[in-house]
Amino acid sequence: MSISVFEDDHFDPLLVIEANFDGPQGPFWAQLEAAIGPQLREILRYCERPAGRTGETFDLITRPGSKHPLAPFLEAHTVTPMIFHQGNRGLDRRRIDREAELFFAAQETLGNGARYHGVDAVTLHRTLRSSLRGTFDWLGEPEPVRIPGRERLADLAKLAGFAMVALLVLSFPGVLLALIVPNGWVVVSVSLLAALATGRLIKDLPDLFRQFSGSAPAPESGPPPRMRDAFARDAMKSAGSTVGFVRLALAAALFLAVYVALAATVFGALVAPLTPAPFGETIAASARVFALGLSSVPFSLCAILLWLRRLEDRDPCHDDPAVRPERLQDMMRREDFIAQNHMGSMVLVKPGLLRAVLIRAGLSGLALILRVVATSGYLGSMRTIHFAHWAMVGNGSRLMFFSNFDGSWESYLDDFIEKAHGGLTLAWGNCVGFPPARFLSLEGATHGRKFKNWARHSMATTLFWFSAYRDYTVNQIERHARVASGLRQPTLSPEEAIAWTRDL
Amino acid sequence: MTAEQVLRPLPDGLGTRLRAWAFEHVDLAFGLLRAVKPILKVGGTVLVTRYDDVREVFLTDDAFPVPYRAKLDVIMGGCPFFLGMADTPEYRRDTAAMRKAILREDIPVRLAGAVETLAERIVDEGGGRLEVVDELVRRVTFAVLSDYFGVPDPPGADLRVWATRLFEFQFADPGDDPALRADVDRMAPALRDHIDRLIAARRGSNTTGSDFEGDDVLGRCLALQRQGEPGFSDEQIRTALMGMIVGGPPQPPMVVPQALEQLLRRPDALMGAQAAARSGDDALLAGYVFEAMRFDPLAPALPRVAARDHRIAVGTPRETLVPKGATVLAAFRSAMHDGRRIPDPGRFDPRRMQHEYIHFGHGLHTCFGIHMNRVLLPLMLKPLLRRNRLRRAPGPEGHLTKRGPFAERLRVVYDA
Repeated sequence: MSISVFEDDHFDPLLVIEANFDGPQGPFWAQLEAAIGPQLREILRYCERPAGRTGETFDLITRPGSKHPLAPFLEAHTVTPMIFHQGNRGLDRRRIDREAELFFAAQETLGNGARYHGVDAVTLHRTLRSSLRGTFDWLGEPEPVRIPGRERLADLAKLAGFAMVALLVLSFPGVLLALIVPNGWVVVSVSLLAALATGRLIKDLPDLFRQFSGSAPAPESGPPPRMRDAFARDAMKSAGSTVGFVRLALAAALFLAVYVALAATVFGALVAPLTPAPFGETIAASARVFALGLSSVPFSLCAILLWLRRLEDRDPCHDDPAVRPERLQDMMRREDFIAQNHMGSMVLVKPGLLRAVLIRAGLSGLALILRVVATSGYLGSMRTIHFAHWAMVGNGSRLMFFSNFDGSWESYLDDFIEKAHGGLTLAWGNCVGFPPARFLSLEGATHGRKFKNWARHSMATTLFWFSAYRDYTVNQIERHARVASGLRQPTLSPEEAIAWTRDL
Repeated sequence: MTAEQVLRPLPDGLGTRLRAWAFEHVDLAFGLLRAVKPILKVGGTVLVTRYDDVREVFLTDDAFPVPYRAKLDVIMGGCPFFLGMADTPEYRRDTAAMRKAILREDIPVRLAGAVETLAERIVDEGGGRLEVVDELVRRVTFAVLSDYFGVPDPPGADLRVWATRLFEFQFADPGDDPALRADVDRMAPALRDHIDRLIAARRGSNTTGSDFEGDDVLGRCLALQRQGEPGFSDEQIRTALMGMIVGGPPQPPMVVPQALEQLLRRPDALMGAQAAARSGDDALLAGYVFEAMRFDPLAPALPRVAARDHRIAVGTPRETLVPKGATVLAAFRSAMHDGRRIPDPGRFDPRRMQHEYIHFGHGLHTCFGIHMNRVLLPLMLKPLLRRNRLRRAPGPEGHLTKRGPFAERLRVVYDA
């Protein structure tokens, strides 16, 4: 949890209480009030009275001698992140604490290892387990699943739903055309011709294809991305072999079929009462329209990209944002005390309809992809992030980013630049001053120096920060979890036991 | 002394049975109200059911003072007691005065041991079969606290009956029953008279001019009076002691058996509580007892009266104007089950945080004995929970029965 004040020449200072916690938010606010209510009330007394419904509540909670509950006011001003990555996913605080306790108890039992010299891994596991069972009786309980099947299914369903809505929007020109022109071939031909005509206008299209097939070109400045982009890589991994490709193609075909069936059913059911035709015919006609509509997806994508490129060509960027030395000092003075660090930044969102749509769609889509892809406790190959989230504030005019990470700020940003520049550019590319990007995913964050300057410039000093497990890195927590997971098992096979001992 | 003698008989009619049924199933209604109509206004009464709003009512004591004054005047003979006051200098003086005589250090040093020892003896004497409401909790509470306050049974009468009857009149008599009032008109002056005599006797015994005999609350009050501390006139001492006796000891025999009943309904929780009692983990045992009480607390709600027009839940869609004079019922039972603030409220969790409980009211008139209760209530059950094979007695007496708001009878058996 952190508290910061974001100062900006164009806005009044903004007080942000940022929190990452287990469980739903209602109980969290009640706990926060119980823990630091009086101090929060004092802080709120320095704030501006909010406009709108909560203005009166603000008066009630800040008047002299007030005891009025704070939780409802804080909850009413909650902004939920649009995109959120949680390191060590599926481990709550209690589990992290007790698995760490177990780990250190195991280390203590092992001592310098002399007693166990020459003992094989299976025996070592059995001995350690039996000596720790007495103190840690939960070792006998079944291991809680980190990501329950229901949650996983919901994540997949949400991503599929998002993809279907995106398809629906992108196939809109084709759907309209199919409603007007009865001949299906005409619709498909017109759509594809339009796509071809638009696509030819975008000279950088090949770069974009290369990016999504995992071989992005080296940027003009900044370090070259040595590894494939973390987000793209996971999606592309399964397409590596012929079998993988066939599987992917089949999945895509099945997905499109489900989309057409769903869209046709919903649309058919809506229009059926308005037409004299039998229900079955209406559904069949709708299915035809939505299937033909899909042919215009390439055109829509190309048109959007063209529009985006036009904007990107004219976007001013901030090559050398000034960071006041005293502010930089103030930030750096508070960094690198423990294994973890914290950062908060706030930037302006670029204006315009396309940007407004793209930033929301991009962040929502990325958020859903992360939920499906980042299930190992890490964000792709980035193994240092405890929490990272983006949220839109000020009616969508500003984008706020907060993160808890291991190691120094410099190495964190280097990690981002090298391993997740595509996702990063997608998340931040719609913001004012971001290093020049193409198609919202090329270059951008790969301009390392510019990106770092821009990020520092956008940051506020973290005035208050609480980390629940300040001494553990993401890696260390995963290591504790693996050791605990092994100790929960009554027996391990020799191979499993050898792998398990490597973490001790 | 049994419940038959302590509690008043209730008319055995359909109304009584319906009321009992409604009380048993009140959580269902509360759940529905929290979702659909969190602030329910019926005539001059406003029922508030969500955690936030219940806290707001308790914390806004200037708009919602306690309605206890009129009946307190009957009990105290017109002398003001702090339970009936707003947040005035007199309130602060009187509560501060009592905190000089009723000390927090007494809990571990003097009260906890006494409660556990007597409860242990009773459970031991029970020989494997015990009625929890009277034989255990009421007996322990009154024995330990009347000794601590320095107020023994009046000659020829029983403090348990007087205190419980006066408590019922003060807190659980919304219909102003004339029969109860007749009892009160007899018992209240007699209790005042009893304490006056105790004060005079204690002072008469102090012939040396040194410390008053006995280190109890009465003795300390008289010593503080002699030192010229404000808030310790004879009348103030008597009123404070009356208030403690009427407001305090009648409550554990309600909530402690109710907690045990809830534990008996949950075999896992009972097993956990017994393990905590056996290992001497008093903090965890307290966790079990107060969590059990959350499922059947002292009452569904506590009343307040609007001293002026006031809007509750300002800035939310449920914002409601409470007109001056309206009675506000702050349903703390409902608040403790409000999932908007209480994590997973349906789950029995002995490790909840303090703010998730509103057992002792909240704000200005939070129970004066809150610290005492937090320690002593679990200890009353501790010796019983340590026993092996603790279970319900066979037949209906093995299930807790209530008479109106009072726990009446719960018999358990265990290995002697």
